[in-house]
Amino acid sequence: MARTFLVTGGSGYFGGVLVDRCLERGDQVRILDVNAPSELRDGVDLVQGDVRDADTVRAACDGVDVVLHNIAQVPLARDRDLFWSVNVSGTAQVLVAARDAGVQKVVHTSSSAVYGIPEANPVTEQTKPRPLEAYGRAKLEAEALCADATRSGLDVTIIRPRTILGHGRLGIMSALYDFVAAGAPVYVLGSGDNRYQFVHADDLADACLRAADRAGPAAYNVGATEFGTMRETLEALVESAGTGSRVRSLPVGPARVAMRAASLIGAAPFAPYHWLLYSESLWFDTARARNELDWSPRLSNAQMIVESYEWYLGHRDGEATGSHHQSPVRLGLLGLLKRLP
Amino acid sequence: MNLLRALTGTRSRVRCLVHDPAQAPQLALIDDVFDVVVGDVRDPTALATLFEGVSAATVFHAAAVIHPAGRTREFFDVNVGGTELVLDAAVRSGSARFVHVSSNSVCGANPGPDDRFTEESPYAPYMGYGQSKEEAERLVARASDRGDLETVVVRAPWFYGPFQPDRQTRFLATARRGRFPLVGDGSNRRSMVYTQNLVDGLLLAASVPAAAGRTYWIADGEPVAMRDVIATVRAAFVAEGMEVSGGSPRMPRLVGVVAEHVDALLQRGGRYSQTIHVLGELKDTIACDISRARRELGYEPQVDLLEGMRRSIRWCLDHGHAL
Repeated sequence: MARTFLVTGGSGYFGGVLVDRCLERGDQVRILDVNAPSELRDGVDLVQGDVRDADTVRAACDGVDVVLHNIAQVPLARDRDLFWSVNVSGTAQVLVAARDAGVQKVVHTSSSAVYGIPEANPVTEQTKPRPLEAYGRAKLEAEALCADATRSGLDVTIIRPRTILGHGRLGIMSALYDFVAAGAPVYVLGSGDNRYQFVHADDLADACLRAADRAGPAAYNVGATEFGTMRETLEALVESAGTGSRVRSLPVGPARVAMRAASLIGAAPFAPYHWLLYSESLWFDTARARNELDWSPRLSNAQMIVESYEWYLGHRDGEATGSHHQSPVRLGLLGLLKRLP
Repeated sequence: MNLLRALTGTRSRVRCLVHDPAQAPQLALIDDVFDVVVGDVRDPTALATLFEGVSAATVFHAAAVIHPAGRTREFFDVNVGGTELVLDAAVRSGSARFVHVSSNSVCGANPGPDDRFTEESPYAPYMGYGQSKEEAERLVARASDRGDLETVVVRAPWFYGPFQPDRQTRFLATARRGRFPLVGDGSNRRSMVYTQNLVDGLLLAASVPAAAGRTYWIADGEPVAMRDVIATVRAAFVAEGMEVSGGSPRMPRLVGVVAEHVDALLQRGGRYSQTIHVLGELKDTIACDISRARRELGYEPQVDLLEGMRRSIRWCLDHGHAL
C-alpha cells in the first residue's frame, strides 16, 4: 500500500532527489520547505513555510506515515543564530509534530560534521561525536533531540552522510568545477593525502529509504565504499576533464588563515567547516548500514565527482534560484587564485 | 531543565513558563506531561495563562537573572517584580506550595575561610543581584507570614552540571588550560552544588510537610578551598582521559578588591560587567552549612565535586561544547 512521505527540505538539493525516489516507488509525497521547488512534480503536495513554526509543521505532518527530515542550515549559511534555530528548534518542531500526528517513522538526516576531526579512522556509529564548529554542534544537538523523541515513543533513525555529491549538487563544489573547467590549477591543503569520503546523493537516498522501511530506532553512517585521498579524488576529476588543470598543494597553516580571513571579510565562500575539515581524514566504516539495511553504495568518489562536474558543465549557465547546495558560490577572492599560471 | 527532567514520571502534568520560544518543542519532546507557556515572567498576561485552570499546584520559581546584559535594571524587574507576579498568581490560584529558588548572594561573603552561613545568618546582600534576591525572599516570607500559601526558600550557591550555562563551560575550559586565576592564595572556600543535588533538595522542599515556611541552604556536602576547586576540575579532566595544561596563575588579592570596588561603582550607575563582577567575588569565602536541610528535609548530596565535574565534562562533550 502506498504510504505518505513528508520530505522536509524537499525543494533543496538532496530533498529533491528523495522526492523523485519516493515517487518512483509509488509513494505519496508532501514537501515542507521554505521555498517552492524549481519544478513541482505531479501529485506532490507542497506545504510552504518555516520549519520553526509549530502550526506549519503540524499541518505538514498531518496524515503522514513517514517523515524524511532534511531541512538544515548548511555551513555555507554562516549565520550562527540560523544554524541553531533551524537545525535545533526546527528539528524539535518536526519531531514533536511527527509524534503527535502518529507518524510511524522519522529518518533524520544528520551530518558527519558531528564527528569534527576524529581521533582515529574509520569512524563507526560507536565513535563519540566531537564537533568542532557551529554547524556540527547544531547537528549534534538535533541528534540529542532525536534521542529524546525516541524515549518518548517516536521511531527515529539517524543517517549521517559524508559530503554529498551528485548531479545538481553545487554549493562549494562549484568553485572547484569552475577552476577545472577553466584549466586552472586546483588546490589541496598540504599533501592532500588525507582520506576523504564522499557519498552520492542517489546512494544516500537509497540508505534513507531503506532506513524508513526498517522498524526500530537506529543510527547509520553512510559513505562511498570506494574512495581514496583528497588528492586522488581531484586527480581523477582533472584527468577526466582533460582541461589541463592540475592538482597543487597549498601549505595548510597559511591556507587556513587565508580562508578564514577571506571569509571574515566576506570575500570568499568558506565556513569554518571547510577550512577545518578539507585537509583532514574522515571516513566511515559503513558495515552497519550495509548489514542492517542491506545497502550498498554504487558510486566511488571518483565516479561521483566526475558525474557531478559533467552536470555542472551542462548547467552552469542556468539561473540559480535554489538553496545553497543547488546554487554555485560566488568566487570572490578565489577568482585571483584561478588566474595564477 | 534538570528539575523538569526530574519531574517527568512523577507528575501527571507540569505547566512551565519558558522565555525562549525554541524551548517549547524541546520540552514537549521530552515528555507529554509538559504544558509549555512561552512568555516573560514580567508579563502578567503570560502568568495568567501559566496559572489558567491550575489549582493546588506545587510552584517552583526559578526564573531570575544572574548576569544581566549591561544594565542592572533587570535584576529588579525580573528577580523582584517577577517574583511578586508569580507569587500573586500562585496565591490566587490556590497553589499548595511555593518553592522559591534563592541564592548565596543574599548573605554576601563570609568573614573568614572557616565561617559558614546558616539559615540564621543576617542578610548582607552582595551588590545588585544579592539585593534583588533578598527583596524577593522578603516578598516570599511576607506571603508565608500572612498565611497566603506555604512557602519554602532554597538557597543555592555556585552550580554546575548538565545543562549548565555557557559561562560554566568556559570555566571548565579555562581551568583545563591552567588559565583560571586564583585571586589571593586560593584558601578561600566556596560552596558549590551539582545540579542533580540541587534538584534533590528542591523536590524535598516541595514534599516534606515540615518544610513549610522554612529556608534551607542546599549545596554539595562541604565547601571547598578555591585552589582545590580548580585542582578537582583538573583531576576530573584527567579521570575522563583528557589532558590538562598550564599552571595555576595567581592574582594578588588586591586585584579582587579593586574589581569589587569597580563593580560597585558600575552598579551604582546601573551598569553591569560580568567579568569584573566575577573577578570581585573570586577572593571571597562563600560557604554554607547544609545541616538544617540534612536534619529537616533528609537531604543528602549524592554526587561529590569530582564526580559532578566528571559528569559536567561528559555532558559538555556530548553536546558538542569545546573544552
